Amino acid sequence: MEMSDWAKGLPLRAGENFLGLYQPSPETAEYWEGVTRHEFLIKRCRSCAKLHHPRRILCSACGEPGMDWVRASGRGTVYSFSEIHRTTGIFSPATPYVVGIVALEEGVHIFTRFLPEEGAADKDNSSIRIGSAVSVEFQVLEQGMLLPVFRVGGE
Amino acid sequence: MKQLAGSCVIVGMGRSICKRGDPEKKTPLQLMVEAAGLAMKEAGINRTQIGAVFTGRMPRTYCSLQYNQAVLNELKIVPTFSSEVTSHGAGALGTIEMAVLAVQSGMIDYALCVCGEASPLWIEMVEGSANWEGDLQFEAPYGATTPSLYAQCAQRYMHEYGITPEQLAKVCVENRLWALDHPQAAMHKRGPISIDDVLNSKMIASPMRMLECATWFPGGIGSAAIVTRANLAKASPVKPTYIAGFGQCSTHEWIGERMGFWGVEPVTDGPNLVRTGASVAAKQAYAMSGFNPKDVDIVQTSAPFSFLNVLILEELGFCGVGEGGRFVESGGVDYDGGLPFNTTGGYLSFGQSGQGLYLLKEVMDQIKGCPEGRPVPGVEVGLVHGHGGPNACHSVMLVTGEPLN
Repeated sequence: MEMSDWAKGLPLRAGENFLGLYQPSPETAEYWEGVTRHEFLIKRCRSCAKLHHPRRILCSACGEPGMDWVRASGRGTVYSFSEIHRTTGIFSPATPYVVGIVALEEGVHIFTRFLPEEGAADKDNSSIRIGSAVSVEFQVLEQGMLLPVFRVGGE
Repeated sequence: MKQLAGSCVIVGMGRSICKRGDPEKKTPLQLMVEAAGLAMKEAGINRTQIGAVFTGRMPRTYCSLQYNQAVLNELKIVPTFSSEVTSHGAGALGTIEMAVLAVQSGMIDYALCVCGEASPLWIEMVEGSANWEGDLQFEAPYGATTPSLYAQCAQRYMHEYGITPEQLAKVCVENRLWALDHPQAAMHKRGPISIDDVLNSKMIASPMRMLECATWFPGGIGSAAIVTRANLAKASPVKPTYIAGFGQCSTHEWIGERMGFWGVEPVTDGPNLVRTGASVAAKQAYAMSGFNPKDVDIVQTSAPFSFLNVLILEELGFCGVGEGGRFVESGGVDYDGGLPFNTTGGYLSFGQSGQGLYLLKEVMDQIKGCPEGRPVPGVEVGLVHGHGGPNACHSVMLVTGEPLN
């Protein structure tokens, strides 16, 4: 089911696996536009240059609104992770898969999908550990959305 | 804050339960108004005497915001102060906290706090809950599940402090023993479990296995309490329970963005996933009451995963930071001889039912010497911990059976 996006004309998708809508909001639309260009963007405070999660509206360092978008290196390390063995609906066939939080080189943390190193056996996620070096890729995941994901090693 | 300690009391407590398979399937609103009726009856007051109504978050099967309105409408109460208290699961105890502030100020004399859920009777919980607590934009599209969000904290907790799977499994084993004694517990008739049973149960979201995750309470629970000032309780037909201290602390909405937060307790020195608002809430409750962890005779927590039970023991001050694993391993919360902890069986074996004051009721019943399950002798001071969101909101309350000096 598609509707016109109230923010930037991006399609809104009613997710069958969650209660609500995936909706790029005005403060995050540029992030998702970057994803379509395979660019991984984060926010930078216009006042104090602190870097932030793409969701941030106010700078948590200086309290000012006003953010610029900057391209992140796409490199980081696994901060935390969980290998999902049980879920429902559209994600079930993908189990076991790993979600977690990446600590970007720039000091920002963001939730993501982790992929094992290239050449790993099917469903072998053992290369994904806290501290593993990862780098960004762009993949269409189970719901049909193009998303930034992070693979162990890479680049 | 100290002037609040023991200033207010609970003079009536009601609870209504409906279990899957009961002849009549009840709605959460039915259970909640039944509980409210029981609480008012026990307190010996009628609807015209109630000045405030506070409810926890709306039940998931009755998605009407401002649920307090649905409740007061049904009970035909006309409060001068009313609100839904929505700090996720911590809002249940939050209703009592609001009530204390309202009655102690003199604005009103009696407050009714009502909470409840009955989702397992009406909706498919596993299907509907898979990513209930995720950020729809930045987490859910990755296939995050609720256990996998909490697992981010579990993984860091084990990593940073060297907590072992066996230590975490131990808390599940002890919780289960209490459930075997409690007639309402989901796992009442399921027999004991061993550490090996836990470690061999199927993986849900690493590092957490099936027996480390809360089971849903197989039905619905409505619970209600009447709060008033201690001096008004002299007219009360039942022995009052004194609210000795309370605290609350909320830190975030989504686990992913929690890492953009620092500079205030409990994340003073930098972002982390291993400290929670429970430590802040507990400090406040202890300071208000004048009690310390050594004074506490019984503890209930609403921790839905094994690691969170262990972590919360640290946050509540029953052992040092990072020592929760060793504390549990060495018998700290043993069914025999340890701190009486989750005496209903806890979320892991009694079952999780959102927005409940039933953990508070368990403590009150133990203080009065009339629990449904195994009695704990000599309970004078009880602690209840309420939690909600993915580790986002925490409430702590200390209660006693006698007035504070």
